[in-house]
Amino acid sequence: MLISLNWIKKYVDINVSNEELIRLIGARLVEVEEAIDETHKYDGIFAVKVISAEKIPDTHLTLCKIDDGGKAEKVERDEKGYIQVMCGAPNVHEGMLATWIAPGAIVPSTYHDKEPFEIGMRKMLKKYDSYGMLAGADELAIGDDHSGIVELDPATTTPGDDFAKLFELDDVILDIENKSLTHRPDTFGILGFAREVAGILGQPFKTNDWYLRDAADFANDSNIKLNIEIDEKLCPRYTAVVLSLKANNAPKYLTLQDTLLARSGMRPIDPVVDLTNILMLISGQPLHAFDYDKFVKVGKSKNPKIIVRAAKKGEKLTLLDGKEAELNVDDIVITSNNVPVALAGAMGGANTEIDANTKRVILESATFSLYNLRKTQMAHGIFSEAITRFTKGQPAGQTLPVALRFAEQAKAFGYEPLAVFDSQKTTPVVEKVELSLVQLNNLLGTNFDAKSVQKILQNVEFEVEIKGDKVVTKVPFWRTDIHISEDVIEELGRLTGYDNIAPVLPLHATSDPNEMLALKTALREHLSARGANEVLTYSFIHGDLIKKVGEIPENSYKIVNSISPDLQYIRQSIVPSLLDKSYANLRAGHEKFALFEMNQVYPRTNGTDEDGVPQNSHKLGFVIVDQSGKSDYYLAKKYLLSILDSYGVDYKISPFVEAKDKTNAYCEPKRSAHVETKDGRLIGYVGEIKQRVLRELKLPTPTAAFEVDLSVLLELKGASAKDFSFSQFPSVARDLTLTLPLSCKAGEIEAKIRNTLTQRRLINRVVCTSIYQAKGADTKNVSFHLDFARTDKTLEKAEIQAIMKTLEKIK
Amino acid sequence: MPSISDLKAELKQLNAEYAKIKDMPAEKRADFGKELNIKKQKIMQQIADAENAMQDAAVTPLDITASRDINADAPEFLTADFGSKHPLMTELDRVVGIYQSMGFDIMESVQLDDEFHMFDSLNFAKGHPARDGYDTFRTEEGFIPPAHTSTMQNRVLKTYKHKLDEGNAIAVAVPGRVYRNEDVDATHEHTFYQCEGVYVSETCTLGNMLGILREFFEKYYGQKLNIKTQPGYFPFTEPSLEFLIEKPAALGGKGKGGDWLEMLGCGMIHPNVLKMAGIDPTKYRGFAWGGGIDRLVMLRYGLGDVRNFEAAKLDFLKEFTC
Repeated sequence: MLISLNWIKKYVDINVSNEELIRLIGARLVEVEEAIDETHKYDGIFAVKVISAEKIPDTHLTLCKIDDGGKAEKVERDEKGYIQVMCGAPNVHEGMLATWIAPGAIVPSTYHDKEPFEIGMRKMLKKYDSYGMLAGADELAIGDDHSGIVELDPATTTPGDDFAKLFELDDVILDIENKSLTHRPDTFGILGFAREVAGILGQPFKTNDWYLRDAADFANDSNIKLNIEIDEKLCPRYTAVVLSLKANNAPKYLTLQDTLLARSGMRPIDPVVDLTNILMLISGQPLHAFDYDKFVKVGKSKNPKIIVRAAKKGEKLTLLDGKEAELNVDDIVITSNNVPVALAGAMGGANTEIDANTKRVILESATFSLYNLRKTQMAHGIFSEAITRFTKGQPAGQTLPVALRFAEQAKAFGYEPLAVFDSQKTTPVVEKVELSLVQLNNLLGTNFDAKSVQKILQNVEFEVEIKGDKVVTKVPFWRTDIHISEDVIEELGRLTGYDNIAPVLPLHATSDPNEMLALKTALREHLSARGANEVLTYSFIHGDLIKKVGEIPENSYKIVNSISPDLQYIRQSIVPSLLDKSYANLRAGHEKFALFEMNQVYPRTNGTDEDGVPQNSHKLGFVIVDQSGKSDYYLAKKYLLSILDSYGVDYKISPFVEAKDKTNAYCEPKRSAHVETKDGRLIGYVGEIKQRVLRELKLPTPTAAFEVDLSVLLELKGASAKDFSFSQFPSVARDLTLTLPLSCKAGEIEAKIRNTLTQRRLINRVVCTSIYQAKGADTKNVSFHLDFARTDKTLEKAEIQAIMKTLEKIK
Repeated sequence: MPSISDLKAELKQLNAEYAKIKDMPAEKRADFGKELNIKKQKIMQQIADAENAMQDAAVTPLDITASRDINADAPEFLTADFGSKHPLMTELDRVVGIYQSMGFDIMESVQLDDEFHMFDSLNFAKGHPARDGYDTFRTEEGFIPPAHTSTMQNRVLKTYKHKLDEGNAIAVAVPGRVYRNEDVDATHEHTFYQCEGVYVSETCTLGNMLGILREFFEKYYGQKLNIKTQPGYFPFTEPSLEFLIEKPAALGGKGKGGDWLEMLGCGMIHPNVLKMAGIDPTKYRGFAWGGGIDRLVMLRYGLGDVRNFEAAKLDFLKEFTC
């Protein structure tokens, strides 16, 4: 939203600098995205009189002499002091007052360009010197009209007048961030915005009387018949004024109003539309004008009736822009005896459009359900200034006064009001909100007294009554956002500036650690310290990836409004995302890497929690890839067991089983394992990826992965106390090689060795150092390095031999 | 199950059938061709299945209990030098650590939620345009990958309500991953991280909120900071504010003023939000805030493209080796 500061200044006495004002608006009302400085945009532009205008034959050009009141420098003048300028506009004529951009000045329409266009002296048709430029509305950036030059009113203009002064154009335009005013329909009008500015500056604001009127000052013409029938849920209030065109007094000169429209991002079009727009900009109330006679004709009834209702599904209406809109039940239509004539809040219908033959108009001033209009906005893609205001929920209290203001001001261009009709028959009750000073100061941490509270609220036109500690406020009708005491407290804090509230730290108890986050932090350290890279990947994945890794697409929640097919399913596990990202990294030249991610997953098989919300699992996924073939099961397992060991988790390695929900179906069953607690609870699985999955994802063989349920890990963490016992007697180091059948499990042998030593009360450490199978042999040699010691005395030779003999028999 | 060679022979025969099409009456060609295609697809699938099965059968099993493969060296971890933690997670850990040092409990946000937690419990009127501003994704069932960590407010209030009964304050920080359906560019991601703060007690004030936020950012940047606010609008806070800090020295701030960074949205918790969680708003009051983590990281490291965070590219990640 664009707000002209000069316009605001017409309503409020600003006693601070523009800079300070903008700072205060930012701190106390709304974020100012940009303050566009236009104070010098119209420098060097003057009102001039065209003294002579001589057509150059066979061209569209006119050679003019102009009187600039002697203002311009850097120009050549004739003996009378006039300046020569060539003009291409058809409407240039002797005696007119025009706008002239002097040499050295910037053409305003290029003022904000990277390279603003500076006008100078031009040689035209090889022989005529032309100084500066007689300007059209488009060049002056006050309209789109390129058909001719702007004509100024001789009654109010003297040659040499500064154009900027004439139209108050030395302005600063504020670009306001609308979003945080969603709840403040009143601030979408200059009037409401100015009221806030006054409040911020601590000044009392007085709303214009016309905005507070509740009755017309003219009697209805009994010949004009019009009934209004509304559904209050869709249209809380509908006011209509019928006016008749008595004289065609459309202004031919540029007006201040035209420039205000331009400064608000709109454009002058014709007198009726311009007045509806200007009143909308002032009050926030959008207006629409129908051709009354067309309206009656469309309805084919002797009793013309405005009926506001929900549109029917499939109902059609040709709009002002010529497009036929297909309506749906959430749209609201204005109808003439049930024949649609406008899509409420969005656009009028072509069947009741005002044209050159229009004699009478109906001026609509109404409010509609913002919920419905929001749907209309989305369904039909209409994002006008009007619907932007409607979707904030304009107050019903202003429809009549704004309509009457239109009736009053339309007289200037020849319209006389005939009758006014209003759906509202009784005056609504004024909302009262009560609060206590204690509540106020407790919530904000402030020291407001009753008197200052009264003044602050009265400045923005709340009626305030102080009853001891209680503050009773009557809420002005335009404050549709104020209902509870906290709303009023916000006003007090905001208008006086939150920045004046002292920041104070409260005292409270200490906190408990979050074990899951602590676990994730520790795992992050653990794996990255072992050369792995932590990644984050999207929670949403492509359906193809689910299929490629062998998961079941139906087990994924599906996003209905996804950005692309790549992001359509919510993932069930982490590893597939990591496999997916591995290929790109290989292609980027990384030959050896391990990726891991800790995140939540939502397989549908998890079901929902007590609130009916999908249940998550916290998972750690890990993938290791090595082009040289080392990224096998054993390496992935080494990473996984290093974690379990460091947390003192008691585990066992069990044969791999494919999960019912297939979330581990990418594992090659013959080269994968379950990691379980001693009592058989699954902690996770580790393994090499199936050949067909690797082929689909273009990854090398072998590629290995593991996935761990962090909730289970968290429960087990530290469950088995780590054995820190040691011996003060020297330990014995021995190597042991056992020849075993191929089917024999090395891990089980290692456990047996350990058990044997432990049973003999020996402190021990057992490490497998080699597994060797000679070519063609049907046995393997498994070697271990052993350290063991007694805790009560030094081991003797004989004892050592006996131990080794026992160990050598293990199979 | 037929052997692969049988299947391939069958396929060859079938391919030969295609030659017959040109001799068919024109009206029968289409159906004939369609039938052939279906048969062909079926056989090709059978061949693929058989080949996969053969390949699966050829896989040699390994000793899952061993620490290494037969005749192989012991597996070795990758070089520690190249390991890295994700910068977003490192930052989240820092943020959480500071809140914990300030006496805040930590509750991680969920990544799939419902309309109630995302909107209803936060005082968003049904169908209110403010809901649009969040550009939420939705699942077929109407579940919502949350668009802000405020989705946890109701859970936080309910979970920690006992603290109020015990005469303590609720002080909780909620880190989490959030999602918005918007086009991705250098400064916009559909997936990003936020941290929420919720504070409720019998006596807390807006001044306390400003105090806590200033304290947090002063700890975070390790220096004294100037702060300011501007009015905002959130249905779940009243009053609602935006919180800004003056650019700290670590980010190139010169301390001369005028250079402000918008850090988060905040405000006093709306009484309806407390009520929805079973907390009496006439007895207790509170404040809440939420801000993005991605931006903190971008500012800290001077990063220009937010898309790197979820791209899992080693070239980017290795910039953050431990």
